[in-house]
Amino acid sequence: MIDTIARVEENELTESASRRRYGRLRLRIKVPIAVQPGQFAMIRPHAGEEPLLRRAMAFHRADRQGDHLLAEFIYQIVGRGTEALARLRINDEVDLLGPLGNTFDLGETAGTEALLVAGGAGSPALHMLAGQLNARAIPTRFFIGGASSGDLCALADFIELLGAERVTTATIDGSRGVTGFVTAPLEAAIARLERPAVIYACGPDPMLHRVARIAAESNLPAQLSLEAPMACGFGICVGCAVPVRHDCPEGFIYQKVCTDGPVFRSETLAW
Amino acid sequence: MSNQTIEEKSPTDLLAIEIAGIRFPNPIWTASGTCGYGLDMAELIDLDRLGAICTKGLSARPLRGNPPWRIVETHGGMLNAIGLQNIGARAFINEKLPLLRRYQARVIPNVFGYTIDEYIEAIRILEDGEGIAGYELNISCPNVKAGGESFANDPRQAAEVTAAVRRVSTRPVIVKLSPNVTSIAASALAVEAAGADALSLINTAIGMAVDVNTRRPRLANVTGGLSGPAIKPIAVRCVFQAARAVRIPIIGIGGIATIIDALEFIIAGASAVQVGTANFYDPTASMKIIDGLADYCRQHGLRSIGELVGTIRLDQ
Ligand SMILES: Cc1cc2nc3c(=O)[nH]c(=O)nc-3n(C[C@H](O)[C@H](O)[C@H](O)COP(=O)(O)OP(=O)(O)OC[C@H]3O[C@@H](n4cnc5c(N)ncnc54)[C@H](O)[C@@H]3O)c2cc1C
Ligand SMILES: Cc1cc2nc3c(=O)[nH]c(=O)nc-3n(C[C@H](O)[C@H](O)[C@H](O)COP(=O)(O)O)c2cc1C
Ligand code: FES
Repeated sequence: MIDTIARVEENELTESASRRRYGRLRLRIKVPIAVQPGQFAMIRPHAGEEPLLRRAMAFHRADRQGDHLLAEFIYQIVGRGTEALARLRINDEVDLLGPLGNTFDLGETAGTEALLVAGGAGSPALHMLAGQLNARAIPTRFFIGGASSGDLCALADFIELLGAERVTTATIDGSRGVTGFVTAPLEAAIARLERPAVIYACGPDPMLHRVARIAAESNLPAQLSLEAPMACGFGICVGCAVPVRHDCPEGFIYQKVCTDGPVFRSETLAW
Repeated sequence: MSNQTIEEKSPTDLLAIEIAGIRFPNPIWTASGTCGYGLDMAELIDLDRLGAICTKGLSARPLRGNPPWRIVETHGGMLNAIGLQNIGARAFINEKLPLLRRYQARVIPNVFGYTIDEYIEAIRILEDGEGIAGYELNISCPNVKAGGESFANDPRQAAEVTAAVRRVSTRPVIVKLSPNVTSIAASALAVEAAGADALSLINTAIGMAVDVNTRRPRLANVTGGLSGPAIKPIAVRCVFQAARAVRIPIIGIGGIATIIDALEFIIAGASAVQVGTANFYDPTASMKIIDGLADYCRQHGLRSIGELVGTIRLDQ
């Protein structure tokens, strides 16, 4: 983990038919930090104090370039912090703390298939994972859902990586792929599985709850990347609590999403 | 060496201070609940350069804390309702202290309880630990045996818990005052009379935020403690008023993020200061302040930072 000032190389904004807005932020970091799939950074514009706290963003890409790192983040604009990111111009400075958090565990994927499930702006957390699974020749399928076709964040990147035949889309307005939630095509795919599979998911809480239930019902392991409000991102504020099953009278304790996670095995969560 | 010029003095010569008989390498500490148990900061800052670390609040037994959401950003600050989640005093001395005391920063466990007996129990456990410089008492917790109002709210209860801890502690006791009182001077005087060796202030100011779409409080606990730059003027005022009321040293806390912030507190009457919320958004803030303080001493011809304490000018 380092605390550094990165420089904006690109900050491209888009808006979907559902009126949601997104940004794709490319940063040059002058330290060749090693980033693992699932890890995140805490970022905010360097100038000024708006916002005060940095915001958590998953590394969508982290490519070494000599002794620099080119990092890419994809963010949905939902409030003050992400509005401030959207105002960044090329060459602006960004405070960046990272890499943070644990990573997806690929240990159990040998001889299996990987099913990646993303909702909306949850897909960036899975992109480096898809790359690593691909590199290890583990058969990988990607399911992504959103309100409308423009909400399927980074869809083109996943198609480029895995091929269109391994990517399934679902939209609420039917503008692309299956109409409805992404969990429907996921369930259909699980029903037709020919070998054991591992599920990896990131997205809004209701989607993750549904994925956890599907995983439990079909006896498949699932690793979920969670979100929580974070003040620090490196374990010192204890603001990012998530209930995790524990052998005590109450049956759970609070763990930190930032350092114990963001990736948790679904069966360990007590939500 | 007395014939050294100020330019030749090392930062340690310029910045070393003594509070309650303990020598600190400098007056910049990290505040309770904003630096974990200290070790979590070691990857980002040099713990050998910090004056002291006030740990996350410790209780006699581990505490699970509040349900989420626990934090929300507000303008110039944040609200928190962590619920004092901690590993307990025993785990602290067994698991954290042996590693923490290897650093030069003084270790100051922050201690709380929901009854006076719980404070005493926690202190008794911590008395077994080696390498502890002193204790900081968080008296902003509800006193469950006296109607659930916070100890800090009533100068008599604040004095009672201070005296009780003073009796069992072999180490200096710093009492941390709350701004949520009518008269900070009355609180300061009461705990000084009860035997406090120093005061630290302020703890968070109680606040609240509402989600207008759901009409729910933004924190699961409904209310939370406001911290960060937004509370700095309240904190400077409290330090100023407390410093005029008591003779014991004061440690200033509240929104400190820069060298200017630290200097304001020192001039208003603080012998040392703690960096809190800034650790979250600018983890190296404490290091930058230490560097800046030594420079300020040189520029202003101070032989020691102690010369600046309480030098606020009220003349016209
Ligand atoms: C490990 C991790 C990785 C993340 N990766 C990405 C990513 O790659 N792309 C992306 O778009 N977002 C990501 N997020 C979520 C992102 O951090 C939040 O959307 C952001 O902090 C919102 O800040 P804001 O000031 O714009 O919104 P705010 O004004 O703070 O909030 C706007 C709305 O979002 C909700 N919200 C605020 N903070 C969070 C949060 N941390 N998690 C969930 N809901 C929140 C609020 O309740 C409110 O309804 C990630 C979060 C975590 C914890
Ligand atoms: C997340 C968080 C947790 C805190 N936990 C404690 C605590 O356990 N004990 C305590 O005495 N003060 C606690 N505080 C209060 C701080 O130590 C400090 O007094 C207060 O935040 C004001 O300083 P600041 O504005 O620099 O943060 C906490 C503050 C925050 C923001
Ligand atoms: S965000 Fe601060 S502890 Fe997790």
